[in-house]
Amino acid sequence: MGRLIVTGLLTLWLLLPGSIQAAPGLAERVIEHRLANGLTVLMVERHQAPIVSINLTFGVGGINELTGATGVAHLYEHMAFKGTRTIGTKDYARERPLLDELDRLNAEIETKRAAGAETQELEKLRQAFKDTQGRAEQLVVGNEMSLLYQRHGAVGLNASTGKDVTRYVISLPANRLPLWAAIESDRMANPVLREFYKERAVVMEERRLRTDDSPNGLLYEAFAAAAFQAHPYGAPTIGWASDIRALTPAETERFFRTYYGPANATIGIVGDINPPDVIALIEKTFGRIPAVPTPPPVITAEPEQKGERRVEVEFDAEPIMLIGYHKPALGHPDDFVFDVIESVLSEGVTSRLYHRIVREKRLATAIGAAAGFPGAIAPNLFVISAAPLAPRTTAEVEAAVYEELERLKTEPVPAGELEKVLNNLDANLVRALQSNSGLAGQLAYFQTVAKDWRYVLKSREMTAAVTPQDIQRVARAYFTKANRTVATLVRAPKQPVKREG
Amino acid sequence: MTRRPTIRIAICLAVALVAAGGCVPGALSVSGDPRQMAFPTVAFTPPVPDRIVLDNGLVVYLLEDHELPLVTITATIRTGGWLDPADKVGLAVIAGATMRTGGTQRLGAVELDRELEQMAAVISTGIGTESGSAMLDVLAKDLPRGLRLFADVLMAPAFDPARVELATLQTIEGIRRRQDQPQSIAGREFAKLLYGPEHPYARESTVESVSKITRDDLLDFHTKTVHPNGIILGITGDFEKTTMLALLHETFGGWKKGGVPPIVLPPVVADAARADKTIVRFVGKNTSQTHLRVGHLSVKEDDPDYPALTVLNDILGGSSFRSRLFNDVRTRRGLAYSVGSSFRARVREQGVLAMRAETKVESTQEAIGRLTANLEQLRAQPVSDEELAEAKEAFVNSFVFSFASPSAIVGRLIGLEYDGLPKDFIQQLRDKVVKLTKDDLLTAARKHLHPEQLRILAVGPPSALVPLLSSFGETKEIKLSPEG
Repeated sequence: MGRLIVTGLLTLWLLLPGSIQAAPGLAERVIEHRLANGLTVLMVERHQAPIVSINLTFGVGGINELTGATGVAHLYEHMAFKGTRTIGTKDYARERPLLDELDRLNAEIETKRAAGAETQELEKLRQAFKDTQGRAEQLVVGNEMSLLYQRHGAVGLNASTGKDVTRYVISLPANRLPLWAAIESDRMANPVLREFYKERAVVMEERRLRTDDSPNGLLYEAFAAAAFQAHPYGAPTIGWASDIRALTPAETERFFRTYYGPANATIGIVGDINPPDVIALIEKTFGRIPAVPTPPPVITAEPEQKGERRVEVEFDAEPIMLIGYHKPALGHPDDFVFDVIESVLSEGVTSRLYHRIVREKRLATAIGAAAGFPGAIAPNLFVISAAPLAPRTTAEVEAAVYEELERLKTEPVPAGELEKVLNNLDANLVRALQSNSGLAGQLAYFQTVAKDWRYVLKSREMTAAVTPQDIQRVARAYFTKANRTVATLVRAPKQPVKREG
Repeated sequence: MTRRPTIRIAICLAVALVAAGGCVPGALSVSGDPRQMAFPTVAFTPPVPDRIVLDNGLVVYLLEDHELPLVTITATIRTGGWLDPADKVGLAVIAGATMRTGGTQRLGAVELDRELEQMAAVISTGIGTESGSAMLDVLAKDLPRGLRLFADVLMAPAFDPARVELATLQTIEGIRRRQDQPQSIAGREFAKLLYGPEHPYARESTVESVSKITRDDLLDFHTKTVHPNGIILGITGDFEKTTMLALLHETFGGWKKGGVPPIVLPPVVADAARADKTIVRFVGKNTSQTHLRVGHLSVKEDDPDYPALTVLNDILGGSSFRSRLFNDVRTRRGLAYSVGSSFRARVREQGVLAMRAETKVESTQEAIGRLTANLEQLRAQPVSDEELAEAKEAFVNSFVFSFASPSAIVGRLIGLEYDGLPKDFIQQLRDKVVKLTKDDLLTAARKHLHPEQLRILAVGPPSALVPLLSSFGETKEIKLSPEG
C-alpha cells in the first residue's frame, strides 16, 4: 500500500535523499581509500558469511546528455557488458576492422537515406552491412563477461542508469574479488562496443516495455517533460525513441571517454573482506588506469516556473495522477525540510495523505509522496502520486491533496509527528546495515552525489533540526500553484480496439 | 518461499568442479587474465538454528545474531486461499490484509497503527494460495511490546468494520485495474490456461465474489484456520534464547490447539492438464509489443527429475546472461529486452515450465519461433560439455548465498518443513546436480519437454496478432470482462 513507485529512474532502487540513511556507528566502520588517479574506495567489513557485495557508481547519467542524444548514458551501460579487447572476443585484431566497417556503412546508409537515395542502392548497402555484421559476429564470444561472473558464483549481476548516476552491481563469494577487479578495471579502461546495433534494438524493446506499454512509465515521462522545459531532467533516461535509433558507436564511446574516468567513480565494497588486501588489489588493477580531465559541468538550469502546467496522457488504463513542485537540490537547507515533509505526508499508514485521503475520505486507493524526482543533484521535484478509488476522480483527489498542503502552511506540525519521523529515520539507519549490497549502494551513492558518504550522517542531524516553523515556511514558499505541474492518465475517448473480422 | 530463485549452490563442495588452473592460495592475488583464474570453493559452516515446539504445537526456529539491535519474527501459517469458497474467492486475501489493519481485541486499529509507527516497528500480514504469513520487525529495545502486539494480531485480530470495508473497496479497485498492465494480463491469463480458471493457482476474485465477503466471514476464517499447531515462527536477531523462550511461553503459551486442515488442492481440470497439441490464446490490447508466455505444466518439486529440469531450465533461459534464450533472442537477434524461462515446481501440484518474451508486434512470429526452437533443441541434441560445466559451477559457487543471512537460513528451513521436504533439500539438490550427465539431461528433456503441446498466451493488438499467431496452433481470443 502506501507509496506508488516513482519510475523515473531505470534503476532497481529508488535512491532519494531522506529515504536512505545509514546507522550511528557507521562512522567508525567505513574505511576510505583514494587512488592517485582519483578513484574512491569505501569499505565495510561484515563477516557473517564469506560473501561480498560491490557497487561501482559513476557520477554520470541522463543529466549529462544533450538534445538529440538522449539515452546515450543508458545505452552505454548496456554496451559495458559487451566485453573488452580480451573478454568477449576470439580475436580483437580481426574484429576491429569489421566494427569500423560497420560504422562506416551505417553512416553511409543514414546519409544516403536522408538524401533520398534510391531503394535499390540502400538495399545494397544494407546487405553489405548485414554481411559484415555476420562476419563480426563470428568473432564474438557472447556475454563472456557475465558468463565468467556466473561461473564463479556471482549473484545479482546488474547495472542501472539514472539521471545522476550509473551503477554496476554484483555479489560474489568473497575470495573472487581478484576476478572482479580484473574484469572491472579492464572494462573501465578498454571497453569494446561490439554488437552495438543489435543492442540498440534491445534498448528500443526496453523502451516499449517500460514506457510505451506502461501507464506509469508513460505518465512519468510526460510529467517530467512538462515540468522541466530546459533542464535535462525533462528528458527520459532511456531516451526518446528517435534519439535511441540514431545513436552511434562513436558517439557512445565518446560519452564513455568523457564521463567514465576513475575520478568520477566510487567503489562501495561491503562483506567478508580484509581492507588492506582489497586496497592492494585495487591499487594493482584500477591503479593502472590513467586519470582523465574533469568532465564538463551541466550548463542548462531550469528557469523559474511561471504558472501551473497541466498535462494529460491517454492510455487504455484506469486513472492515475502526479502532482509535482520544483524544489532545490540535495544539500540545500530546504532539501532536509522536504525530507521531513515527505515523511509526514506519506511514511506509513498513519501518514497524513494515507490517513486522510485513503482511509478517512476514501478518495484514493493508493497515495504517496517522494522528494527528489527524477534526480537529486540538480533542483528537482517533490512529487505526490495517487490512484483514485472509483467512482472518485483525479480532480477530487487533487483537491484533497491541496487541502493537506495548505494545512502544512497554516498549522505547525505537532511534536509527536516530528518525533515519529525521527524515530523511523533512526531505525532505518540501523536497518540499512542489514544488507551488504544495500550498504555498498548507499555509500557509493552519497559519495557520488554529495561528494562525501558522511552525508548520510549529516543528513540525520539536519533532519533532526527541522522545526515546525521551517515546514510552514517551506510549504508556503514552494507549494504554490505557479510552481506546480499536474499530470493525469485518462482513457482515450471511446475507440474500440481494432478487431479482425 | 523460493528455495532456488536462480540456480545456485554449494558451500563446502569439493573442488572437482572448479575449472583447471588450480587454486589461488592466500588472500587476493592478482593474475592478469580473468578467464584463467581459479579459486577454491569458499569454506563456510553456516550457523544452525534451534528448533523448539511449544506444548500447543507452535514450532519455533531461533537463531541469534547480535550484529545490530534488531529482532525479526516471522510466522508461517497453515491457511490459504485454497480454502476460499467458490462464491467468495478473495476471502483469504482480505483476511490476510485486515488481520493487521483491523486492530486487535486489546487495541483498536487506529491505536495499533499509531503505536507501531511511533516506535518504528513494522507488523505485516498476508495470506497467499497455500500459506499465510506474518512478520514483526522491531528494535531490540521494544521487543516485549512488539511481540505482545504481534501475538495479538495473530491470535485475536478484531477486523475493525471500517478497515474491512476499506480493504474490500481497495480489492475491488484492484480488480478494476487488473487490465491496465499488459504483463500482468499475460501472467494471469497464462496461469488460467495452464491450470484451468477454477484452480486455486489461477482463479481470481471478482467484484461479485468480493462484495459477498462479510466481517463475520473473516472472523470465522481466522477462527477456523489460524491455530498455534499450524504455525511455525522464525526468530532472528538481537535476543537471548532463554529470555525469548520465556517471552514466547508468556505470550503464546495459553493459546489453545485447533483443527488444522491438511492442504488439499483440487485436481487440474483434464483439458488444461493434457493436450495433444499446441493451443494459442490472445488478449486484445493496443500495445506496441506482443507480451508472450509460452510453456506447459511440469513435474512437482519432489519428482526425481526435478534436478535435471532445474539445470535444463538454467541452460534454456533461467540463468539470464548465460542462457540460450538470452543469447539467441536478445543478444544475437535484438528481438527483446526481457526474455527467459522459468521452472517453478511446488510439492502439492504440478509446476510450470514457461518461457517469456516481450517483442515489437512485427517480430512476434520470429520470437515465438525462437522460443519453441530452443525448447526443441534440448530434446534434439545433448547440451554441450561446456554448458553443463558452466551450469554446475554457477550452482556450486553461488550456493553460499543460500546462507547469506540468519533470516535466509531460518526462512528456508521453515519453508521446507511447511512443505514436508527434508531439511537438507538444497544440499541434496546440489549433490544431484553435480552428478548429472548430458545423457541425464537429454533423457529428462525428452520425457518432460513438449514443444508440440504448448500453451501460448499473447497480449497485443488483435488485428495484427491473429495472422502472426495462427501458424502455431488453434488460435482463439480471450475476451476480458471490462471490470477485470
